Amino acid sequence: MTRTAAFTREQLRAPFTLVLLVIVPVIFVVASAGVLGDFARAQGGSLAADAASSLAAGWAAAFVAGTLGFFAASSSRGADRRLALAGLGPARVAASRISASMLLALIAAAAAFGTLLARTGVAHPWHAAAAVLAYAVIYLAVGVLVGSLVSSPLEGSLAVAFVFLLDVFSGPGMAAQAAPYSISRKAADVLIAAGSGNASDAADWVKLAVISSACVAAAFVAFVLAARSRS
Amino acid sequence: MSPTSAATLAPSDPAVEASAVLRVIDVHKAFRTGVPLRRRRVQILRGASLTVSSGEFVGLVGENGSGKSTLMQIIVGLLGRDSGTVQRPDRLGYCPQYPLLWDKLTVKEHFELFAEAYGLAGKDAADSRDGLLEELQFATYVDYRVEQLSGGTRQKLNLALALLHEPQLLLLDEPYSGFDWETYLRFWEMAERRRRDGMAILVVSHLLAERDRLGRVYELRDGRCELV
Repeated sequence: MTRTAAFTREQLRAPFTLVLLVIVPVIFVVASAGVLGDFARAQGGSLAADAASSLAAGWAAAFVAGTLGFFAASSSRGADRRLALAGLGPARVAASRISASMLLALIAAAAAFGTLLARTGVAHPWHAAAAVLAYAVIYLAVGVLVGSLVSSPLEGSLAVAFVFLLDVFSGPGMAAQAAPYSISRKAADVLIAAGSGNASDAADWVKLAVISSACVAAAFVAFVLAARSRS
Repeated sequence: MSPTSAATLAPSDPAVEASAVLRVIDVHKAFRTGVPLRRRRVQILRGASLTVSSGEFVGLVGENGSGKSTLMQIIVGLLGRDSGTVQRPDRLGYCPQYPLLWDKLTVKEHFELFAEAYGLAGKDAADSRDGLLEELQFATYVDYRVEQLSGGTRQKLNLALALLHEPQLLLLDEPYSGFDWETYLRFWEMAERRRRDGMAILVVSHLLAERDRLGRVYELRDGRCELV
């Protein structure tokens, strides 16, 4: 049994995880996409219906990955540190945690993307899949960072939800003027383009890759700091 | 005061075998408590010092809130210290007061993870695990998740993980809470067997009634350790 497999199994054994993976994508993509578009127009935004569906898949992946990332970081901190002190060291424990978390982010993204594909067609499916995965990775990092600072499940999950909501309503197409920066801005741009039948240019992909990589690195560092010895 | 780095003692050094396995020297620790801008400093340890030698069973007693668990966590490395020195061997086992386990993983999975951490593999890991399951009599639960275990059985697993690699130094923080009477007696037998084999054992207890089972006893009072 590898450490990554153990930590992945640990997360998947929570019934709540399976509910999140199934229910949230359905709610976001099937039930909320239309509402998202109406809300954007009410705020003066210009989100088209197909773009709203694609974005909803991104938000679904983000919400699930952020929640799972938070609980991965907050609930296992003590046991992870004990394992690191036993001889594995914080880097190896963190590597296993980030690998397991990335696997869960991949599952969340696949569930969201699968729901999107089943619900509507996507002109550029691979672009959309990559952007949905980027959403999941970015919010995984948000969840892990919050989880490494806040141990209370209520306060931590509220903090993740707060970041999520701010990001949703400041995203492109949601208002007459988009906020100058949001953490998922580049992922949203690529996803909207894919949903609208447009390909994104190389610069957008590079930026998306840099942002996603930085998020993975930040989450890794958070796991290392949580597992390290204090002596 | 800046903390002195914790040095590790090389287990192969002959001089170490004849002297203390664990040395805690003049450790100070304070916590900040209260709301920001109105925080106050609560001094828990004010120069705590103790030693434990190979083959010794040393107790650390004190009232509730005296800082016993804090000192233990500093020795292990879970908590930082404000100043002082902790010299401990590479191979130590720690049984925390509250089980630090993964609720969704099974007993067997816990043993596998810790065996890897301790550098145990294959037959050695399996033999050690099976021995502990037998000694503490919880083999029936090997495929149960921790969340499905009773408090006492969780504590058995908590203790077994600290003993899996037969450490040079065993640090036990009230290890028998939740044990039934038979398991409690079995714990002392296990500990005595290992002490005779040369293991150094430091046990935190708030019960002076167990003093007869111990060699030297330190009492943590006013942030310092005094031999009683």
